Amino acid sequence: MDSILSTSLAQLAFPEAVPTITLAHYLFVSAAMFVMGLIGFMTRKNMIIMFLCTELMFQGAGLALIAFGRHHLGADGQTFVIFVLCVAAAEAAMALALVVLLFRHRESLSSQSWKELNG
Amino acid sequence: MGDLYRRVLYLPRGINHRPGPHLRETTTRNNAVDSIINPIVLYLICATGAIGIAAALPRRNKVAAITGGIVLAAAVGFAILILGLNTTESGQPLPNYFFYPFAILGLGSAARMITHPRPVYSALYFILTIIASCGMYLLLSAEFMAFALVIIYAGAILITYLFVIMLATQAPSSAAEEFIDETDAVAREPVISCGIGFVLLAILTTAMFRGLGDLPAPPDQTLAQDSVLVNLPSKVERVLDRADILATGERLARNDDGTAAIDVATRTITIENTDLGTTRTIEADQWPEQLTAGNLDRLGYNLMHDHPMTIEIAGVILLMAMLGATVLARKHIELEDDLKAAQSRKLGENMKMGDA
Repeated sequence: MDSILSTSLAQLAFPEAVPTITLAHYLFVSAAMFVMGLIGFMTRKNMIIMFLCTELMFQGAGLALIAFGRHHLGADGQTFVIFVLCVAAAEAAMALALVVLLFRHRESLSSQSWKELNG
Repeated sequence: MGDLYRRVLYLPRGINHRPGPHLRETTTRNNAVDSIINPIVLYLICATGAIGIAAALPRRNKVAAITGGIVLAAAVGFAILILGLNTTESGQPLPNYFFYPFAILGLGSAARMITHPRPVYSALYFILTIIASCGMYLLLSAEFMAFALVIIYAGAILITYLFVIMLATQAPSSAAEEFIDETDAVAREPVISCGIGFVLLAILTTAMFRGLGDLPAPPDQTLAQDSVLVNLPSKVERVLDRADILATGERLARNDDGTAAIDVATRTITIENTDLGTTRTIEADQWPEQLTAGNLDRLGYNLMHDHPMTIEIAGVILLMAMLGATVLARKHIELEDDLKAAQSRKLGENMKMGDA
């Protein structure tokens, strides 16, 4: 922690230029996408939007997989994105069926209408 | 068209599927990646973004939401500016400039997706996010996944979501057209959630900006790409045949273990003539330009050769999801007792008539 702080303070002037787009750029975008999905999942009350936010988190993970696969020059990252797509499709089918079921019970999409489940 | 594509993405001729020069490992242990951005500036950007999103999440106070949006846009713009200022010195300017529009579009529409009070617009903004990530996939030379993402995500999954949103939301009457349901209009605990989320983002980015310089440099790129060709003898044979290199009766020689007799390092191919029993080699200067392991070749080979069991498991997962969705969404119809009795009587009479 101490070393992080000291190097950060030492670099307050602009650091040396990095000539190209690096892996870190893609990873920053993917992390930001994942975190936005997380925030959306925690704050929104509409159940459909909550599941849509999990799809956003899948997107962030997929971008990181592809960027790392590109970094190591292998196809494993892309192969795993295929499986992520598979799981996302399965998740969408199940989640939407669940949402339709819950909507029929309460005539509302709000997750607050199932408050008694918190025990 | 192919030429334009190559020039726009700044990929060298003839090796359009090999990784472009824009993502090479440029850092060493001494020149760590934290030279991209100052960590303190990064944390400031994270904090500004958190405040922006917290204010922009749906709420009754419209002014706060708009202010939050402006703060968020300022944070993203500042991040892009800092990242961009440090990456302009380059012999290959185009990939740099292509990354930023996709990043801005992707993150901006993701932010709008979680802050928009109307569910249908959220879903549409998510499609925009997907298309932006497809652009980044293209820059990362994952062409197949980019197009698969458009077809599967934007084409199939999101349309299903839109259908459910429209089915489960009552159409507003004309008097209440501007009315937004309480569920969508007010967010739950925006401040705490944004705090947690952006602390997580700061930790994630610290981890990647600190640790990345230590990743090993990739091996020789041409070799790593084309070594798959050894395992794809029929593809090599087809390309050679199309390039009119194979004469009648000639075929690609195989090694003892069934792999193609290709030396990728020296770019020589051994060909045998089955009629005469002779062999000859094709030297590097005759190597056809089309003979390269493209993205699809490598992905398909990796999928089928290294992960066959995972494909089976994925199939089982999809089947189970289909069954589960059918069972969950089924409507139970309760028939009255006398209606059931009447139906069974009718069925019995029909069967009796059939016997007679």
